[in-house]
Amino acid sequence: MELLPQALIDGIMLGAIYINIAIAFSLVYGVLHIIDFAVGEWIMLGAFTGYHLTLLTHVEPFLLLPIIFVIFAGLGLLLQPLIQRVLSGHKGNPTLMALVFTFGLALMVRGLAQTFFGFYSHSIPSRFSAGSFFFQRGSFFVTISSVRLLGLVYAVVLTLLLNLMLRKTDFGLAIRALAMQKEAAGLMGVNATRTNRWLFAIYVGVTAMTGVLIGVILSVASKMGPENSILAFFVVVLAGMGYLAGVPAAAFLLGIIQSIFLVYLDPGYTMMAVFGILYLILLVSPTGMFRRGM
Amino acid sequence: MTPISKDRRLLISLVVFAAAVLLPAVLHDTFWLRVTTEAIMWVGLALGFDVIAGYTGYLNFGHQAFFGIGAYTTAMLMMKAHWPFLLAMPAGGVVGAAAALVIGIPTLRLRGAYFAIATWAVARAVQQGALMASFTGGPDGMRTTAFLNPQYFYYVMLAVVAATFFGLWFLLERAPFGLKLKAVREDQESAKALGLNPTVLKIKAFMLSAIPTALCGGVFAYWVTFIDPNSTLGDLLSDQALVMVIFGGMGTLVGPVIGAVLIFMFKTLFWAYLSAYEVLYLIILGAVIALSVVFLPDGVMGIAFRRRRGRAAPTVPQPAATPTEKEA
Amino acid sequence: MQCSKGLALLAASALAIVAGAQEARDYYKIGVVCELSGDTVTGGNVCKRGYDLWAQEVNAQGGIKVGSKKYKVQLFYGDSQSNPSTGAAAAERLITQEHVDFMFGPYTSGCAIAVGPVVEKYKVPIINGSAESPNVWLQHFKYSFGAIPPVNFTGAMAIQTLAKLEPKPKTAVVFGSNDTFSKATATAFNAECEKQGIKVFKFNIVPEGQDLTPLLSAMKGLRPDIIAFGGHDEELINLVKDLRQIDYTPKAVLMHYGVTEPAFVDALKGDANQVFGGAVWDEATKTSSKILWKDSQAYATAAKKAFGVPADYTQAGCSVSGIIFQEAVAKLNAAPPLNEATREKLIPVLEGLDLQTFYGRIKFATEGDFYHANVGISPLTVQIQNGVVKTVGPAAVAEAKAQYPMTPWSQR
Repeated sequence: MELLPQALIDGIMLGAIYINIAIAFSLVYGVLHIIDFAVGEWIMLGAFTGYHLTLLTHVEPFLLLPIIFVIFAGLGLLLQPLIQRVLSGHKGNPTLMALVFTFGLALMVRGLAQTFFGFYSHSIPSRFSAGSFFFQRGSFFVTISSVRLLGLVYAVVLTLLLNLMLRKTDFGLAIRALAMQKEAAGLMGVNATRTNRWLFAIYVGVTAMTGVLIGVILSVASKMGPENSILAFFVVVLAGMGYLAGVPAAAFLLGIIQSIFLVYLDPGYTMMAVFGILYLILLVSPTGMFRRGM
Repeated sequence: MTPISKDRRLLISLVVFAAAVLLPAVLHDTFWLRVTTEAIMWVGLALGFDVIAGYTGYLNFGHQAFFGIGAYTTAMLMMKAHWPFLLAMPAGGVVGAAAALVIGIPTLRLRGAYFAIATWAVARAVQQGALMASFTGGPDGMRTTAFLNPQYFYYVMLAVVAATFFGLWFLLERAPFGLKLKAVREDQESAKALGLNPTVLKIKAFMLSAIPTALCGGVFAYWVTFIDPNSTLGDLLSDQALVMVIFGGMGTLVGPVIGAVLIFMFKTLFWAYLSAYEVLYLIILGAVIALSVVFLPDGVMGIAFRRRRGRAAPTVPQPAATPTEKEA
Repeated sequence: MQCSKGLALLAASALAIVAGAQEARDYYKIGVVCELSGDTVTGGNVCKRGYDLWAQEVNAQGGIKVGSKKYKVQLFYGDSQSNPSTGAAAAERLITQEHVDFMFGPYTSGCAIAVGPVVEKYKVPIINGSAESPNVWLQHFKYSFGAIPPVNFTGAMAIQTLAKLEPKPKTAVVFGSNDTFSKATATAFNAECEKQGIKVFKFNIVPEGQDLTPLLSAMKGLRPDIIAFGGHDEELINLVKDLRQIDYTPKAVLMHYGVTEPAFVDALKGDANQVFGGAVWDEATKTSSKILWKDSQAYATAAKKAFGVPADYTQAGCSVSGIIFQEAVAKLNAAPPLNEATREKLIPVLEGLDLQTFYGRIKFATEGDFYHANVGISPLTVQIQNGVVKTVGPAAVAEAKAQYPMTPWSQR
């Protein structure tokens, strides 16, 4: 029983990372209906860029986040027209084709990364990595790592910012309009092409920043893409595809499931439980935990 | 291009099959025999994948589960129960079909991307199960008794895959079953109105896709002599099958054959003779996939039939990507 | 008719001659099956460096001396793509197309097990420079040998060294990733802890790549003296980072392979210090040899010069595989090309070898669980001190005193 608070907190900390991985991904699916197989690769690229920039400039990686965002948002801007072309194709099934396209893209990026970045693992140094907070009350005690707490704060801020953007800006209005009714939105003067482009750019930028975070808390490797793509899929499906508000809850749930297995049950079965639960949720409620997905 | 009628295509297939049967008589190099055996295996895997993906419109990202189930069943029956291979391998197929039945009944109610993710989750869970269970050997995998006879395995694999191809030809292109599946793929509600039972049809298709996959897994286990959860239950298998089917042409039988052979041969030649540039292969494969999606959405078969669109050409499959309804 | 019968006979014998004849060569062809791509490409490349370095060195000296002549070597690589069936296919290609005389093996045990029957069929001996899983040797492949003993032979040593330190460790938690090598490592650690009377609070096999923070936080309350972990690459880095993040310093952190990889120290910097590991060789090991490199230092210097990174024991094990090969063919007086009969005769020669190399003693077991693994070499306990790997046990060969217990993170 004394372990429970720590287990829950650790689960939440794990969940914070998952929020970061999944939130922009969910937004993109909701509007653009793309399942981007390359989501993990953007994380990987962001992590490596953050690693090399930190090494070069000796600046605290958290301060470099805006630069990472700008670089990768730029990349997203360049890439989106290509994806758009695939999505608006009239042959085959566009969404399926986009999925396969991003899959091919992911393979290419991974291959390029292995060629240029090598195959060794790295860690992004940060002055926050060393600290932690320790609380004790009787036989209950809790340790919270500073850098993971920072990750949680970042996740919360990010979620709030995205939410703010969606609800209070014209751009966000355009996004929500497109998500609801593509044709009508166009009639209302929403420039779908431009909105989609910028949305995708934001998605790639945000996802790349997550890579830096993961590089600080965990590590950086050219093969880290697929495992992060898996986590993104899981969270988004659990939350309900395209339902942004569901992402934090789903992410925390995933983190807590893992934590409970690691602490109380046989850790070996952690991933089996994760996949089993994902499957059951899909059977029972494919539109996610809250039945608000698409 | 001149149209090729169905009967003509069947004839060409039989000729190709005859050539395949005679191949080992002229090809003595054991390495190339091994390569062609694996190419044939991939044809089988791609065909299985296409039955449920192309014909029925359900993307199965857990396709590898059947392969692994077939492989492990065969290995366990041979090593622990001392069954002979020619009984253990078909038994693997039976277990694979049973698994498809059990997994299919609940899962086929989902559509599009949900079905894809659900099947993927099941396959991953199966892989974790194989990693944790002691009777599968866990991460250490399992060995089968070594019997290294390249001609034997070539013919076994060819027999399995040829039976699959011609069996599917009959069921999907000759018998009404194929049309019924396509009807389900295009519009399930209308299919019901026509008196079809989509649920039963989908489950049959799912089982039909599982059987060749599991049989190939069974042959694989005895042929390679060593199996483990990574090599038999990994994602790479469905990824490659997907690519082969899309590149070759979904919803046809010849498409997966062409796609499998071309992609596998390309991969092998690269690996065997350009291994110093192995990383380039990933890049090239990714580029090929991405580009064929943009420029070749109907795959290689699409090029062959472009002029014939609207007439006798195979219809372009439209698997639903968003779940607009879920059957109770 | 007589005429066509004669022609047929002529054709047949011509074919037979062509088939039976080998091209005359004055160099050895050695096939290497190695993970040049895929999940374990890091380890595969370590092996490649080891094999390449040996080939370079032996050729620089003019080749292998057999009888009165010297023969150079040429390595032919086949990529297993971190996949056992591809490894087997690569082996088949190297043997049937390149007609190699001998083979060197892959980094992973799965590949080694898949390759085993292939080399046995064609009677081509293979020395695995790595492949430390006990499973490989349990198969009793007649044509496969290993330069490094399996982890159930070496894993106990690190715990034995720790058990002798003051204050004596009383408790431990042992984890291993769910892959064949890491699981065997963790099992070996666990077994030895029990033997030494160290109480193991928790022994768990965890999914690969899993973030272990919740597990470690829970363990923090139990305050184990030793945390022992079997894993690869980034899992090892993550574990140390996790311990730092939850601010728990046990008396000792033990991992197996991976602490000797330069990337480990590189990523963790000062946090890597005082981590214990297991090895069978490092550059300060006292050895003396007349073959190629006279001692560990000589090899380490050559490796650093060639690749710019310090050599670890897997790389060294791969280089010594080459040395084993050259001694065997020299002893048998077998000049290239090696035909099947000669290769068959190499087996008893290999089994009978007792070599002193820069790596240590090479002697293969000929029966039992360690069949054809090198049991001549003794395991070492190492520790990272000031960013450098130092041998701290057993006492007879230690080059430095173990720094124990670990300095708490906050005091570093």
